Amino acid sequence: MEYKAPTEEYTGVVREVTIGKGRKSLKIGGENILPFHFFDKGSNPNPVKFALEVLDMEPQDWPEHLIQPFKNVIADPVKWAKKCEELGADAVFLRLVSTDPAVKDSSADEAAALAKRIAEAIDIPLIIYGSGDDKKDAEVLPKVAEACDGMNLLIGPVQKENYEVVGKALLDHGHNASALSPLDINLLKELNVKLCKFFPAEKIVIDPEAAALGYGMEYSFSLMERVKQIGIITKDNMTMMPLIADLGGECWKTKQAKEDKEQGLLWEGITALSFLLAGANIIVFRHPETSRLMKKITEVK
Amino acid sequence: MVIIGENIHVIAQAVSTAIRERDARVIQDLAKAQTEAGADYVDLNVGPMKKDTEETMQWLVNAVQEATDLPLSIDTLNPVAMEAGLKTCKRKPLLNSASGKSLSKEQMLPLAQKYSCDVVISVMTDKGMPPDVESKIESIMDTVAYANELGIPNENIWVDPILLPISTAGEGQRFTVINLEFIKILEDVLPEIKSTVGLSNTSNGVPDELRPPLNRTYMVMLERNRLHSAIADPLDKELISLTKGGMPEIVELIYRTMDGEDIALSSLSQKEIEYVKTAKVLMGETLYSDAWLES
Repeated sequence: MEYKAPTEEYTGVVREVTIGKGRKSLKIGGENILPFHFFDKGSNPNPVKFALEVLDMEPQDWPEHLIQPFKNVIADPVKWAKKCEELGADAVFLRLVSTDPAVKDSSADEAAALAKRIAEAIDIPLIIYGSGDDKKDAEVLPKVAEACDGMNLLIGPVQKENYEVVGKALLDHGHNASALSPLDINLLKELNVKLCKFFPAEKIVIDPEAAALGYGMEYSFSLMERVKQIGIITKDNMTMMPLIADLGGECWKTKQAKEDKEQGLLWEGITALSFLLAGANIIVFRHPETSRLMKKITEVK
Repeated sequence: MVIIGENIHVIAQAVSTAIRERDARVIQDLAKAQTEAGADYVDLNVGPMKKDTEETMQWLVNAVQEATDLPLSIDTLNPVAMEAGLKTCKRKPLLNSASGKSLSKEQMLPLAQKYSCDVVISVMTDKGMPPDVESKIESIMDTVAYANELGIPNENIWVDPILLPISTAGEGQRFTVINLEFIKILEDVLPEIKSTVGLSNTSNGVPDELRPPLNRTYMVMLERNRLHSAIADPLDKELISLTKGGMPEIVELIYRTMDGEDIALSSLSQKEIEYVKTAKVLMGETLYSDAWLES
């Protein structure tokens, strides 16, 4: 008797989100299968994408082996972003860390001007994150959205505390929103429900918080896995969005990664591989070597 | 459904002050209000009671008995306070509560036998909270067998599966589903047994204004699965109306949702839609969030 392996077919489809415009654009999401379940009925039209992180100021606490690939450009965020492009990144992830009141408290206008310069200088899509301070982000991100009007960038983190102000600015200036909740599927859904009252669900990416290996990675893993299952299997409208795993910063602040280059690459790589398996659609790296290696792994046939 | 009124509870500042200052009026007003609202028992949750234990408990029971004829549920983990309370009750009280923990088996269950009162026994054991339906059944069967040997018959035992908040990060819905199932099969494995739940626990951690719909809907769902009683807020008029037959259409609608019927929301009123949505999160069909009524 011929054996036929059982296959599953699901009704949920992750929304496809386009970041950027024209040739400076990429697509994430769109799958109706669980991560890497290519044996089931359905497909993932957009393989996972890899972004490299750029800070808006010279990093203060990066180890030498992390600075090394960007050595001559690290003091200039525009050059740094172009370097990421040369290194083959699918997108640049700009973190406006200097705007944090606890760092430099630099102004929203400065941040917006820099964001615009980078967006215009590179030929790949741009993702922009504020410092994560919800109050300051509520000032900074609307300015950034305005300066980059119509560029269809991915901007975040949009949080429970500031989603009304930031969400409205992103909507007015034609951007996508990256919605961040602290490692909790119930809170994540709640934020999406509230945001979707005025913001299109097709322009939302979920940031579930990506913790590093040894620092809570399994929580993020289970959460991402669950978001995908609930979206694709049970067709929950509020979790059928692509996932961003912003893990580079989390990995490179660990003692292990700072201590030693090889250890750092492994730390970032193992964390990234785990989230690939959990269903991340776009991953943010700090070290280009890890990014390149992970890309190679996903392209193995 | 037997409603055990939960409002005399030391966590309420007014209650703890009234007990400390022996202000009977505050307590008696709460007892009267719950009696008038349709409660079947009045729960006296006194906390750990470290000082003047016996005297305080006697004072409290007597004060409440002057205000209501309802039987009382003596709610404390302190065995000395428990005995003082049981002794003072005029009507057959409810010992609330015992469990499968060794200490409780040694100190609480014998009191239930001594005063031949009803007793709440939770599924908790020395190993903690059993995580699934099977282990809950297993642990309660052990504890009930132990109680039977002491001479406490099944019909005096009210099993408490212990409800946990639905909003517990990602896990809460698993508990609401497990407990529905547990209550459904309980009487099949332990004939004549009764059951009770701390209903409001389900909605703990949820914004205040959103708690009643969860409590009400879950009560109807559990009642359908043969739940005997609930420790709940009798001052919630809609809750009482649901269990006393005042809202048969809503009850019917919740049952249809439980049966998996595909209900067209467009034909329903706002209130009906809310009950359907709430039943769906409680049975684990849709993912819970605090915005469950809005999506």
